[in-house]
Amino acid sequence: MKKLPSPRKTAILLTILILGILIACAGFLLFSPKRSHADRLIAEIYQDGVLIKSIPLWEVTASETFTVRGQGGEENVIEVRNGSIAVISANCPDKLCVHQGFRSDTLLPITCLPNHLVILLRPEAPENGGQSDALTY
Amino acid sequence: MKQENSNPSDHTKSASRTQRLAVLALLTAAALMIYAIESLLPTFVPIPGIRLGLANVITLITIKRYGARDALLVLLARIFLSCFFFGQFMSLLYSLCGGLFCMLVTWLICLLLAGNYLWIISIFGAIAHNLAQLAVAFFLTKTPGVLAYLPFLMISAILTGLFTGLCAHFTLKHLPAKR
Repeated sequence: MKKLPSPRKTAILLTILILGILIACAGFLLFSPKRSHADRLIAEIYQDGVLIKSIPLWEVTASETFTVRGQGGEENVIEVRNGSIAVISANCPDKLCVHQGFRSDTLLPITCLPNHLVILLRPEAPENGGQSDALTY
Repeated sequence: MKQENSNPSDHTKSASRTQRLAVLALLTAAALMIYAIESLLPTFVPIPGIRLGLANVITLITIKRYGARDALLVLLARIFLSCFFFGQFMSLLYSLCGGLFCMLVTWLICLLLAGNYLWIISIFGAIAHNLAQLAVAFFLTKTPGVLAYLPFLMISAILTGLFTGLCAHFTLKHLPAKR
């Protein structure tokens, strides 16, 4: 049977690995090019991986709410305001999507795992700037 | 003659088995209680998947004191019971995938480190737990966007894993020695 390296040695290696993961993640978060507070954000609502709604948030003048329903009776009430979007109520048990509140940056998507719902924010693509106006609203 | 010899040993064997059963049941009850109390705490960070995972303290204590097999039993009992008591069926899949992958990695790292450095074991368990849950989330939502949570989940796994590992370490110091 192959002998394992001493626990002490392994511990040092594993600690270095942990620190490496920590630094990599922190670095990624700090210098992430994806983070954007751009004025023109598009909210994309996915359910089961299918884009069901795409909203140019800068075009929202008055706040409005709508409900996304799933096949299993899931319901998420979503509110859009000028420049931000939130799930304001949901019938899932943990309500984590509601706790995420209004989001206006691209750092993290809003997710409701029990209802398979993901709301992604992305800046308007500069190369096809006119296209977003034609998307379903 | 033979019977006289075997009877006392049978007796002690069954007594130790009963004791093991009682201890494992106690640990499961403790894990359930910790899990229930933790689920009552408000969420500190509004990010799905980020939680303290205090019930893992019991898993760590069990794997260190009683071995991986018993720890697996306690973990499975805790997951299924907590689902029946507080959860809904949906969370079973998350808990099972997270819990089992966490258990596997905890066991491997525990072997590598010969049971020492509980906080390192715990950190890797937490990382494995979060990775597995993110994989389930990706599988369920079929949206690559959820992978944006990865760095948050890794950092939180390292911090909470360190915390639960130290909790388990200090709890073990104060627990009466295994008989």
